[in-house]
Amino acid sequence: MLNADFVARCKRHRVVLAIAFLIIFPLLMPFKAIAVNILIYGLYALGFNMLFGTLGLLSFGHAALFGGGAYACGLVMLRLGLPWYVGVFGAVLAGMLIAAVIGAFAIRTRGIYFAMVTMALAQCLYFLADQATEFTGGENGLRGIELKTIQLPAITLNFVDPLTRYYVIAFFVAIALIVLSRILASPFGAVMEAVRENEARARACGYDVRATRYLAFVLSGGFCGLAGAMQALHLSIVPLETLAITNSGLVVMMALLGGMGTFFGPFVGAGVFLLLENLVSLWTVHWQLFVGAAFVCCVLFFPRGIWGTILLGRAR
Amino acid sequence: MSEVILSTEAVSKSFGKFRALAGISASFPSGKLTSIIGPNGAGKSTFFNLLSGAFPPSEGRVIFEGRDITGTPQHHFAKLGIAKSFQITNVFPQLPVHENVRVALQALVSRYQIWSPRANLPELAERAEALLEIVGLQEHRHRAAGTLAHGQQRALEIAMALAANPRLLLLDEPTAGMSPEETRAMMDLILKLASERTVILVEHKMKLVMGISDRLLVLHHGELLAEGTPDEIRRNETVKRVYLGQREH
Amino acid sequence: MWRVVDPLDVFLLRIFILDGLTPDLIALQLFTGLALGAIYVLLALGMSLLFGMLTVVNFAHGAFYMLGAYAGIALLGIGVNFWLCLLFAPLIVGSLGLLAERFLIRRLYGRGIDYPLLLTFGLSYMMVEVIRIVFGTNGLPFETPDALQGASDIMIGYFPTYRLFVIAVAVVVLVALWLFLERTPYGLIIRAGARDPQIVRILGIDVARVWLVVFGIGTGLAGLAGLLAAPLQGASPEMGASILAESFVVTVVGGMGSLVGAVIAGVLVGVVVAMTSLFAPEFAQVAIFALMAIVLLIRPQGFFGRAGLMS
Repeated sequence: MLNADFVARCKRHRVVLAIAFLIIFPLLMPFKAIAVNILIYGLYALGFNMLFGTLGLLSFGHAALFGGGAYACGLVMLRLGLPWYVGVFGAVLAGMLIAAVIGAFAIRTRGIYFAMVTMALAQCLYFLADQATEFTGGENGLRGIELKTIQLPAITLNFVDPLTRYYVIAFFVAIALIVLSRILASPFGAVMEAVRENEARARACGYDVRATRYLAFVLSGGFCGLAGAMQALHLSIVPLETLAITNSGLVVMMALLGGMGTFFGPFVGAGVFLLLENLVSLWTVHWQLFVGAAFVCCVLFFPRGIWGTILLGRAR
Repeated sequence: MSEVILSTEAVSKSFGKFRALAGISASFPSGKLTSIIGPNGAGKSTFFNLLSGAFPPSEGRVIFEGRDITGTPQHHFAKLGIAKSFQITNVFPQLPVHENVRVALQALVSRYQIWSPRANLPELAERAEALLEIVGLQEHRHRAAGTLAHGQQRALEIAMALAANPRLLLLDEPTAGMSPEETRAMMDLILKLASERTVILVEHKMKLVMGISDRLLVLHHGELLAEGTPDEIRRNETVKRVYLGQREH
Repeated sequence: MWRVVDPLDVFLLRIFILDGLTPDLIALQLFTGLALGAIYVLLALGMSLLFGMLTVVNFAHGAFYMLGAYAGIALLGIGVNFWLCLLFAPLIVGSLGLLAERFLIRRLYGRGIDYPLLLTFGLSYMMVEVIRIVFGTNGLPFETPDALQGASDIMIGYFPTYRLFVIAVAVVVLVALWLFLERTPYGLIIRAGARDPQIVRILGIDVARVWLVVFGIGTGLAGLAGLLAAPLQGASPEMGASILAESFVVTVVGGMGSLVGAVIAGVLVGVVVAMTSLFAPEFAQVAIFALMAIVLLIRPQGFFGRAGLMS
């Protein structure tokens, strides 16, 4: 009984636990760059998981939200010459806006169509970014996003320092975690779960399933846009590939690997995926083969993902 | 005859070339338990789905409390005061029993609030508790709904339908697949519910509804064959021929 | 989709610049659209078959398409001529599809529609990487067979022979598939199954074997499309990725699970792309997504999709 009680208490304070983990995490990682990557992709997967895990809606066009955020952040800083935090804010808005546009079309379709339509529309955005060379840099990507120091009232942070950079990004991730946790605990969070569990039932209860999905998709866009902004600041360039299909697929893999619909799953998935990628690429350039195989095994044998399977084991 | 709560005006429904319902005009008196019966394939389920707004009729109108509700989206029905249970068991399987009812209640007060915690709506949890008591599921409140026995899931469904405090309750074969004991308990529950509101029941087991219904509608081949009190239906020669006769074979 | 690389396209472009928009030019471009549409039709037919029958959305469809091109390269490499390639490459790809269905996808039936989708997505990753290991990461050229090189006079002007050939092959395959579905007992089962899998099961037919065959046909068609596209655009491990999104568009426009829809939408999308490349080449790739958006607004289930099929 003590064990169950402990788990329940962990669940209640999951945001505090997550933030505590974010603080000690870089000390556990051999390379800070991986830690930063795990943060960014973990956040990206978090935004995706809210849609797929909580609401049960599979999108294959999330690269448009992530990449759109990255481009928005870069464009605000480079083309408008505004400070980086405006860029970050703009990225969140851009993520939500792109989600609102894509969602307006995709939400009209049902079930499996949604995955296909979101993917096709994301591909459309990819081509647009490719064509608008003057604005986006086309195939060369958006270059020259510079953030060296961050002025705070009391101190100046050196963003070039890996550990400082990690904690700056972790700060935004922590905010996202708090916001997400509130959304999941809100009445709307309950509606999302209800729609996932049984669409027809939710409709009979009086919920507008389409509107629920639309709102969730737009919110998801905000998280993914933020992740994109972090990516842009971290790399100081936005490669065109950020918008590519593979980037949409990546987040699906990470979320599934970690465990859909679990709170920590996205971060576990992003972490395992990136570590695996790093390890395998040490001895072969064909790491995608192993990632693909790991993913296939996951679908076949661990549909709950790593974290989901651990939680299930605990519950028994 | 008492006031009419729901009526249809010459509703038809076709699926492609197949005409499932052919121009049915019927009315349902307020405060009564009306059963829709008929052999398999008579169009009962189609008629139920038209009444409950799962899909619109191909032709004709549906009137609820004097208002034309033809083509109104399904999610507006709860607010109108119409609730339904499904023919196939239809709960939120992975959510706890209590949360199933709570979420059904929540639909009336909060659908898009993303910031305030759920815990700020404690009255919902209390009302959910009360509804579970009515259908006799309070001791299972923490179990995942999908793990309940079949009869219990159907009872849970009715608790969820009651959440909207409907003036009209539509039940589609609520005893399908139930054991005799479960069936008896469900019938008692339906009678209890019918004392407070209008109930429309779709059922193909004729014997079951004869005793509890105030009125019966008999469908056959997508048409309204007869309507009346159980006694009138029992005496109706046409009904005997197509329905009762069939059952004897 | 192939980019404008063909010498004839350059030639057409020159006419365009010199003489403006002549009816002949538009007619020729229409033919280009037909050839492109033929590839889309083959892809979308396979995809619709898989969806209609098995409710599997095959995210590896682009990868099977890519395999078709590489199977052609491998066969040509060991001295098989192009005509036999047309037969064997789809057979090889179809067999691989059979294996994927038998040993992987079959385990996932009844576990929700998302799982086969995710599995095929992972599978496409592996297939692309295996091709990279065997054939290298760079794209390979694919020679147009000698007999099909050059251009033929089609009354309104000269048109690349190979593109005419692509259209002809697609028509032959369409007729063959139609005869198979309409005139053979197996086809009858498949059509019945696409309408209602329950019926097939009730009739006591070994559904598993029917599904296996369908998966083989669907992936084989994708392989054929890839082989036919190879002389037009070369072969590269990534060639399946963007065509996947495009064939989704075709399937969505035509209506999921509808074979007639796949044909009509495939041709339509091909023509739209060809026409936009004539008037505004920079928007050619965006045009088909705009087309999809319009169709979704007017008719969310696509031209021939049944409303509420996937509710």
